[in-house]
Amino acid sequence: MWQDEPKCIKDHNRRLLAEKFELKRNLYKAFIRDPELPSELREKLTAKLSKLPRNSSFTRIRNRCVFSGRPRGVYEFFRMSRIVFRTLANQGMLNGVKKASW
Amino acid sequence: MSGVGLRRLLETAVTQGVTEARARIFGHVLNPTGQRSPHKLLRKKLIGEKVSQWYPHDITKDDPLIMAAREQERLSKLEMLKRRGKGPPKKGQGKGAAKRNKGK
Repeated sequence: MWQDEPKCIKDHNRRLLAEKFELKRNLYKAFIRDPELPSELREKLTAKLSKLPRNSSFTRIRNRCVFSGRPRGVYEFFRMSRIVFRTLANQGMLNGVKKASW
Repeated sequence: MSGVGLRRLLETAVTQGVTEARARIFGHVLNPTGQRSPHKLLRKKLIGEKVSQWYPHDITKDDPLIMAAREQERLSKLEMLKRRGKGPPKKGQGKGAAKRNKGK
């Protein structure tokens, strides 16, 4: 499957980091936006937020295809790229998926 | 005319009272002025768990025999390429590295 692709491995590492730091990140971000807190505290929190590792951000994650590692044309429901989806669906390996005609 | 004004006053008093009471009962967080509030971020659900489970775990990784066989194949493939003279170049000799060094 995907174990040999370096980009997939990097993406996987980013996902793990994002899960690890998510709570903290959300907390800091929420506090920064509160207009009622004193401004030195907010500045301190912005500094702390910037110190968090970059790879723990959700925006750095890309939903790659689980089989081929393709970054584009990936359906989130199947976690596969459109090409792999087509090959598997034609072989009948996807349960309940058949060619549409109506 | 003053009657209409009075009625409007009473209306607003009643509706505001209702919203405040509702918030007090159910624990809602009110923001009548519409300022930026941290509550909006804090009430979102956490998605970290789902995000980290995107790639399924490959069970062949748990089997040392299969991993050893794969590693052997990779090494033999590299050896074949080296025999033909197509292996990876030495450090600083590749196309990109050569360009960089030349430009310097």
